Amino acid sequence: MSTAANTSQQDSSFDPAAIAPGPPRGRSMPARLVRYAEAYVLVALTGMLVLLFSLLPATRGTFPTVQNLQATIGNQSVLAILALAVLVPLVAQSYDFSVGATMGLSSIYAATVLSHGASIVVALLLAVAIGVVIGAVNGLLVTRARVSSLIATLGMATIIQGIVTWKTAGQSVVNGIPTSLTNFGSRNFLGIPWTVYVALVVAAGAHYVLRHTPFGRNVYALGSNRASAHLVGLRVQRLTLSTFVIAGGLAGAVGVLQVARSGAGNPQVGPGFTLPALAAAFLSVVAIKPGRFNVWGAVVAIVFLAVLNSGLNLAGVDSYVTDFANGLALIVGVALAGLFGRNRAGSDPGGS
Amino acid sequence: MGRGEVTPAERADPALRASGVVKDFAGTRALDGVSFDVAPGEIHALVGSNGSGKSTLVKILAGVETADAGELELGRQRHDLRHFSTALARREGLHFVHQQPTTFGDLTVAENLATSRGYETGPLGGIRWRALRRRVAGVLRRFEIDAGPDDVLDTLSPSTQTMVAIARALQDQEDERGGVLVLDEPTAALSASEAERVLDAIRRFAAQGQAIVFISHRLEEIVRVADRITVLRDGRLVTTVERHAVDHDGLVELIVGRPLDRTATAALAPSFGAAVLQVRELGGGRVHDVDASIAAGEVVGLAGLTGSGRSTLLRLLFGAQQRTRGSIEVDGVPLAPRRPSDAIDAGVAYVPEDRLGQGVFPGMSVLENLSAGFVADYARHGHVGEARERVAAVEAIERYMIRTPSSLAPITTLSGGNQQKVVLARWLRRNPRVLLLDEPTQGVDVGARAELWHLIQTAALAGAAALVVSSDLEELVQFCGRILLLRDGTVCGDVDVIGSGLDADRLNHLLHAETVAA
Repeated sequence: MSTAANTSQQDSSFDPAAIAPGPPRGRSMPARLVRYAEAYVLVALTGMLVLLFSLLPATRGTFPTVQNLQATIGNQSVLAILALAVLVPLVAQSYDFSVGATMGLSSIYAATVLSHGASIVVALLLAVAIGVVIGAVNGLLVTRARVSSLIATLGMATIIQGIVTWKTAGQSVVNGIPTSLTNFGSRNFLGIPWTVYVALVVAAGAHYVLRHTPFGRNVYALGSNRASAHLVGLRVQRLTLSTFVIAGGLAGAVGVLQVARSGAGNPQVGPGFTLPALAAAFLSVVAIKPGRFNVWGAVVAIVFLAVLNSGLNLAGVDSYVTDFANGLALIVGVALAGLFGRNRAGSDPGGS
Repeated sequence: MGRGEVTPAERADPALRASGVVKDFAGTRALDGVSFDVAPGEIHALVGSNGSGKSTLVKILAGVETADAGELELGRQRHDLRHFSTALARREGLHFVHQQPTTFGDLTVAENLATSRGYETGPLGGIRWRALRRRVAGVLRRFEIDAGPDDVLDTLSPSTQTMVAIARALQDQEDERGGVLVLDEPTAALSASEAERVLDAIRRFAAQGQAIVFISHRLEEIVRVADRITVLRDGRLVTTVERHAVDHDGLVELIVGRPLDRTATAALAPSFGAAVLQVRELGGGRVHDVDASIAAGEVVGLAGLTGSGRSTLLRLLFGAQQRTRGSIEVDGVPLAPRRPSDAIDAGVAYVPEDRLGQGVFPGMSVLENLSAGFVADYARHGHVGEARERVAAVEAIERYMIRTPSSLAPITTLSGGNQQKVVLARWLRRNPRVLLLDEPTQGVDVGARAELWHLIQTAALAGAAALVVSSDLEELVQFCGRILLLRDGTVCGDVDVIGSGLDADRLNHLLHAETVAA
């Protein structure tokens, strides 16, 4: 608390010169540089990875190709939107471990109704509705039944996976998916996959909602201090519930994108998305707006993880190496989130 | 117990003797050469007002704070208080029961006793429950506690819980040399009859030869229970008196340092504007039957001892705690707050005592802290106008004298006083009708303190009604036109400061007085 000790002397005097610019305020040139470096270190790291895989003999021929780069980012659109979905409750210090399973369930149902001839709009509405219901149940469990968000959503994920297996008997839904949808999922526009545009639009929307609407600002306040939020009149429970509903809705909607991308409703794929999505959301705390979970930080983290995975794959490393990398990313992300949180708060934020 | 009755003659060999204790905090002397001693079998009371240094003294004995000078004699061991530690205090048989409950409500009595001493375990590390129960049953018998080893603590009465805490502190010393039991406000949270049961137990322990240091705000308890009383004032030892050498009023005089004047007690408030806040028979938590009325322009102080329900009263008014009885009106409109937002909508503002835990939003900027909760004020069609918000924040920083390098500086880089100004400004710029402030100047330096009071008074001049809790009586009589005295959860006095010429000393008298003529 040396900063508090420094500044406490300002109280007794009106001398503006006494307001010495402390290191964290970014007045001095080096401090500003440090902050800049902090914000873009993950971007730089991603750039370095791209460079590395472009020069490395093992990947030189395959990594820096248009096809690979398109596939690399195209494959990440679904994951990116799921990361944005978990980001919303995460900003309010709640964890949603059910987004992957929710996406899996909605993709199965979307694929099923599409194969029975329903329009894409109907499939999308159904997918969103499924996600919203799951999110609402999660939210009610957390706010009303006071179950910890981690437990509630982990349990929910398991139940959802049970429903998926029950409904599909483990079989993918592949027939009758409209080609217009699968075309959308596999084609490019201006050299970039369509799904990437979708992810960017969703990111822009999430950024707008979280940073430029009273709702989003209140969610950040809730995440900063629940007790203070309650005492400035925020409806803490209602806000928490809505973060889960948004996460569920987004996860549900992205199920349709998954069908578009893979051309099927696959009962296996959902849950595997949850941890990478959480890893990216946690890692967002070190990028763009350091010290805070943020949308563009999550997008940078997704690209970083995608480049890492793609490069490692092309380098021919065994799949367990990528498991190591992803697991490590999650742990490092959470550790950095805690570290940055403490630095910003000037004190230990505690458990919540 | 093997000790038998102890006669005063045996006091020649004290269980504890502290001498020449000095402690400085940032240039002010909190303790100035304080000495006192406790004999086996004696209940020795430490008394003094807030800021007299008694809690500092207790912290030094516990090894939580280190003294700048002083010596502690325990039995025959001498310790330099400059190098005393919590571990040493414990090893030397100093047992503390602190004011905040340190027992575990949802564990059993046996588990509570075992958490500090350790479980008896079998060869594989498993707990030997039978042995534990047997030992705990023995401890409960020894301390005459009406509970079983398997009773869950929360199901017991508050006085029994306090006694379990005491037994837990003392359980180890049956066969060791006496040790000293330090009780810090053990009865503060108890009702009169519950407190009586604890006091009986304390007397019983002393009769068995236990040396006890007893700290309490309730002077009537002290004059009844204590064998000797040591009085501290402004960090200095005033005197140590024998029991019966002083009565309640005499003790108040010693604490305050001036003869007791009972002539001016309650007076009616001068009339300001119309009543803004009107409270009738309000009850909830430890608060009951509170009637009060605060007019526009009035700054009313709320004084009371620890545990009198000051914070609870504010929380009830703000809807942060559920009201069980009574009515609240703001500007003549009934207010039945179920949650803070109800009170806020009626124009009520609340600054909590715990600034870091409940007031600020750490990790967020000054601007975000100013807007927190009221971001919608700066939004049009659902979009927060950043420029609008920024301009308003810069205005607020200027107007409410917040010293910060920029509106974007993290709130936690500001000094405590400036953080508090941000918390207060959050409310003031919405022009509240009622200001409820809980220790608004706590931990704030002198300069910022004056500015905070200036802000409060300016808001009152603009027509708000302010109710301010403070433990600093000097500041209450300096800045408040009227002071409500709270005691055991209800208003027991209503004193007009200006009309009566009330000063901090007399306010202190009134707080300690047994009854205040209303």
